[in-house]
Amino acid sequence: MSASVNPDSTDLDRLHAAVKREKEDLSPESKPAPLWAIFLLMLVAIVAGDQLGPMTGGWSFNVSNPFALAGGGDPRPGGAGAGGALDPFAVAMKKGAGGYAVCGGCHQGNGNGIPGQFPPLAGSEWVTGGTERLVRVVQHGLTGAITVKGQGFNMPGGMQPFGAAMSAQDLANVLTYIRNSWGNEGTMITQEMVKKVRDEEKRATQWTEADLKPFADKNCAGDIPAGPGAAPAAK
Amino acid sequence: MQTTPATPDTELQADNLRRAAIDKSVKGPVLFLFINGAFWLMLSTLLGVLSAVVLVEPAFIPNLANFLASWGAPRFLVDSAAESLTYGRLQPAHINALVYGWGLQAALGVMLWIMARRSGQELRTGKSLMLVAGVFWNITISFGILAILMGKSTSIEWLEMPKFVWPVLLGCFLCYAWPIARMFGRAFRPEGFMVSTWYILAACFWFTWIFITANVALHCLPGLGALGAGIDAWYIHGVILLFFVPVGVGAAYYFIPKITGQPIASAQLASAGFWTLAVLGGWTGMQKYMGGPLPAWMTAVGACTGVLLLVPVGLVGLNHHLTTLGKHSAVATSPTLRFVFFGALFYPVSGLILALNSTFWTGSALQFTQSWYSFQMVSVYGFFSMCAFGAIYYIVPRLAGCEWLSVRLIRNHFWFSVYGVGTIVIMSLVAGWQQGSDLNDPAHWDQNFLNQVMNSRPYVVSRAVAWALISFSNFMFLIHLLLMVAGLGRRSSAPTLLHREHDEHASPVHA
Repeated sequence: MSASVNPDSTDLDRLHAAVKREKEDLSPESKPAPLWAIFLLMLVAIVAGDQLGPMTGGWSFNVSNPFALAGGGDPRPGGAGAGGALDPFAVAMKKGAGGYAVCGGCHQGNGNGIPGQFPPLAGSEWVTGGTERLVRVVQHGLTGAITVKGQGFNMPGGMQPFGAAMSAQDLANVLTYIRNSWGNEGTMITQEMVKKVRDEEKRATQWTEADLKPFADKNCAGDIPAGPGAAPAAK
Repeated sequence: MQTTPATPDTELQADNLRRAAIDKSVKGPVLFLFINGAFWLMLSTLLGVLSAVVLVEPAFIPNLANFLASWGAPRFLVDSAAESLTYGRLQPAHINALVYGWGLQAALGVMLWIMARRSGQELRTGKSLMLVAGVFWNITISFGILAILMGKSTSIEWLEMPKFVWPVLLGCFLCYAWPIARMFGRAFRPEGFMVSTWYILAACFWFTWIFITANVALHCLPGLGALGAGIDAWYIHGVILLFFVPVGVGAAYYFIPKITGQPIASAQLASAGFWTLAVLGGWTGMQKYMGGPLPAWMTAVGACTGVLLLVPVGLVGLNHHLTTLGKHSAVATSPTLRFVFFGALFYPVSGLILALNSTFWTGSALQFTQSWYSFQMVSVYGFFSMCAFGAIYYIVPRLAGCEWLSVRLIRNHFWFSVYGVGTIVIMSLVAGWQQGSDLNDPAHWDQNFLNQVMNSRPYVVSRAVAWALISFSNFMFLIHLLLMVAGLGRRSSAPTLLHREHDEHASPVHA
């Protein structure tokens, strides 16, 4: 080849060095596989078989719900129940618990408020009483001296209209939550009820106790889909 | 081929010459594939960085374009670049360059060399056809990836390149697969011949089958509806499990005994591992759409197989473990063994991630999240590419006639690759878990979806950093490979090893 150009390339020993130092190809042996490995593979097979189980939908081309054979419910632990619609009251309580973070700053996590400063929600007639009044307090705020559970409160500035910043659904959830926590029991407040109050009442100032007297025992009109006092017909 | 050391010197000499002649016969096509593959890998990793950056900061490219324009770059040029370099185009371009540009070319090179060596056959005919096919392959992919960047993607994952690409790719693939299969057919097959060879042979047939089936179904059959998505998921898993995995495992089965001098521990485990993979590999993939609008049994079978694939994974892993037990010191010395060994370690990891993605229990959280990217990367990069790098470090000195120049380049390539791909795999898996369980958490029902997307940003940032590390390592790999192929390697009869032997008693290791 180009010996004169590159005298190096005539060095046959060097050119074949990589081939010469190679180790020979060996036949495989027959060492036994350890028993624990075989057991592990059996475990794998069991877990794999678990994926077939009830999930195949009866090998039908027309079934795409993997939980069809289990009656429509999700058979896994923590899976959503029997596939029916979720209970609106339970959903409202769960979501309301999250929304209560706004209220808990003053009224406290246990709903007892702080004596002399913030009135309690637990056992309060304002909370468990007429829903018309409760929605209005949170929607528009409340100021001046008030009486809750026989004790007087007069917080400077009063309560701000926190509900105005929430969606109707969020406000309904948190009101349902406070009406059914810490031993309270009251009917659900729905999104429709909150919307109705919002449509009727457009005031820009906080309420006073006297202003709210007419609503003290009035309940918002509307279906109560679930929870305490639910109308069977509406279910 | 079988060599017997006890024979007279002349016979050994003849065998050495025969192997040198085999190497010479495949030199052209193999080096062509390796170099072009390394270029595509470089491009793919850079696109990987860019797509991760754009996913976190979509304004990055437009801002860059404005900046360049303010420095006098032509307006229309930077504007069209800004328009085409969005995440939706960069990510498929990155994956396609990785799979078809790097993955398939590197695999074919490794397959051709190993099959020629194992069968003891020189490549007599078809060499020029291979080179022509290689050129066509690269031109076609260039057009395909440009088309993706210009918005002509088919939107079918891993098959984003336009329709016209696939018949060309299939033809080019067969130009390599057919001679490889012929070599197998003509070979004298002593005991133990099959261990690495059957994976290589099977990869030739399996890829052809999967590629034709998926492309005909997705491009030629009308009205597939939701099933098309399922077929695409099946294709992705097929390419990984029935092409990249067999080539990686075949290379590992060839190089581990070759370098350590230890025979494969168990022929029976090797056989069982191959046949379980052959039987199970084509059944998985559709579990990606569990709970979706596919017949439930399809996703259930996919999930079952996805878990069951831990069996072949476990058998191969066990066999490697039994083979290399007590021989780990060679891993520190030989570049080939180090890459192949760590690649083989990623194989069980990929099996575990596939199983996690597949079961209904964990899949309900991991479905449609970044954890699927984690599986693709751990198999294509962590497992297959690391084995391919190892093979390249072994093969190229034999073909180029010189030794690797720099221990430091190899060492950097190794460590940046391992840390880079490890970061991508772990971060994508954790990100996927967080995304999925956040979305499933009932307490988050009132959360904005965008919040969930924003929460995964840190993981994507780490992905960008990891791809940058890998790009850096591949830059060194590419330069090193180009120097070798140009014949500028070390002129020496001693191999380039990562460590000098400190221990006098240790057996000498050959790279």
